[in-house]
Amino acid sequence: MNEQTNNPLPPSLTPLKLVVIFACLLGATLAVMGVCVLFGQTSLTWLVLELRLGRLIAAALVGAGLSVGGMALQAILRNPLAEPYLLGISSGAGVGVLIGMATVGMFPLWMASVPAPMFAFVGAMVTCVLVYLIAQQRGRLNAQSLILSGVIVNVFNGAIMLAINLYISRYQIVEFSQWMMGEINELTPRTTLGICAACILVGWAWLFIRSAAYNALGLGDDVARSMGISVGRLRIETFVFVSLMAGAAVALAGPIGFVGLIIPHIARLLLRADFRVLIITSGFIGAIFLMIVETACYALAPLVNVASIPVGIVTALCGGPFFLMLLRRGLRRETI
Amino acid sequence: MTSQPEPQTSREILSVNDLTFGYRPEVSVLRGVNLSADVGKLMCILGPNGSGKTTLLRCMLGRLHPTKGSVLLEQKPVHKFSARALANLMAYVPQQPASAFSIPVREIVLTARLPHLGVLGLAGQKDLEIAAAAMQMTDTLDFATRTIGELSGGEAQRVMIARAIAQQPSICLLDEPTSHLDIRNQMLIYGMMQRLGHDWNMGVICVSHDINLASRFADTLVLMRNGSVIAAGAPSEVITEDILRETYNVDIELIPVEGSSPIARAK
Repeated sequence: MNEQTNNPLPPSLTPLKLVVIFACLLGATLAVMGVCVLFGQTSLTWLVLELRLGRLIAAALVGAGLSVGGMALQAILRNPLAEPYLLGISSGAGVGVLIGMATVGMFPLWMASVPAPMFAFVGAMVTCVLVYLIAQQRGRLNAQSLILSGVIVNVFNGAIMLAINLYISRYQIVEFSQWMMGEINELTPRTTLGICAACILVGWAWLFIRSAAYNALGLGDDVARSMGISVGRLRIETFVFVSLMAGAAVALAGPIGFVGLIIPHIARLLLRADFRVLIITSGFIGAIFLMIVETACYALAPLVNVASIPVGIVTALCGGPFFLMLLRRGLRRETI
Repeated sequence: MTSQPEPQTSREILSVNDLTFGYRPEVSVLRGVNLSADVGKLMCILGPNGSGKTTLLRCMLGRLHPTKGSVLLEQKPVHKFSARALANLMAYVPQQPASAFSIPVREIVLTARLPHLGVLGLAGQKDLEIAAAAMQMTDTLDFATRTIGELSGGEAQRVMIARAIAQQPSICLLDEPTSHLDIRNQMLIYGMMQRLGHDWNMGVICVSHDINLASRFADTLVLMRNGSVIAAGAPSEVITEDILRETYNVDIELIPVEGSSPIARAK
């Protein structure tokens, strides 16, 4: 395709361009992963490297899952402040873990016979179904009611967690609050990692396939419908796959906030592109971002005399001010 | 009016037959509406607020199902079409242009090709040519790489019209496309709608609030009040002081203009 001579419009997006973008980003991600594995290592034993690699793979998956989920949610809700947590996914996972502690008595959290991530995952998915059931009206999903349902379910989940806290032991509360800070644990079983990886990668691929429709959805529901897009189905599909991805991310690393908000914005600032490119890019940027944060936490922990710094604390500390900045800017300008 | 469409091109594309619709069963918003739109012609629907213009448009779009009567597109009930099949025949331009995200104008226009394309909607050479032609017609090529948020209201609305044209529909429905625009952009857009009919041989239906612009550009005017059609026909037939008074419930005088349609003004 090089007959762009007399066409006033340059070609927008070709399969070749997509493949090149994908390959470059994948290469960059792997390069960052390589640097992160070796960063700050004094002894290069296989065991240490393997543990580091496991954590970095988990960090990359979580970063990608949350970022792509945030990007897709922002597209279907036409709200630049949407992210997976808004839908109550993290609090749902929290309820799941707490129920696991209260019933199976998992302690310590990561050694239990039924892995905590499974409880987190089930909790997240149940919450998503609940949010959907509240938000839908005769099978249709409306943007505002989805956001509101998420907020309401979040509050409700918070209350349930406090209530369960009354019934579990003090040690379990400590264990639980550590999980709630968002820490990528190196003792996550291989099977859990595999299941979560599959959820995130399948979700990513699916959302990418639907990303062309997000461009149209940005023009309003009626215009999107007039272009043959079944808007309700697109919302439901997206919602289901984002839930799957975010549930898996929370299961792997606990609730890590603001990644799903920051990364899509950075991706949009870096490149003025449509959603097909943005869905790919934001995933890789998210993976790179969380690997770097994780490595920083790993390297910094001995310097501040703690065993480990949960990644969630760092992302929340960066993300809070960032969110406020976006909010202030959004008040001044209508579109972003 | 001035440019005579060729005989074979003037065929009916959309017909509304005895259409009755109510959001609640006891209150009818539309009562027995009949009209027929041809390709190659611009039809403007006029009427006061709450007369059912937009509801009628939504029935034509297949978004609302008639309580009684029917809307036929190419002889087939409009709600029987699949979303994709309908998108190949009919395009829609909303009142306010909006894009929630900073997507380049070129990609916005290219979304129109989605009903014609495969999974990822990757535009081929033909699609780019169609989009370029649509943008040329609406004079939007200059800002192909800018985003909607960076454009003026008039420019943004022209992009939305370019998008509708790039869909290559047989009929295009517009809901008060000029309501927020200055007089130059109003003229530009009415001129475009007329050209879409006369030169591009599309059926064009536009809901409008501007009696003067509509009667100057349209081939057919439909005047509505309380969910019924008061009058329909060529502007010279239906723009009379009596009909306008009946439609808008206000005394309107017509000031003759040499060589053009008279100007309507509230007394």
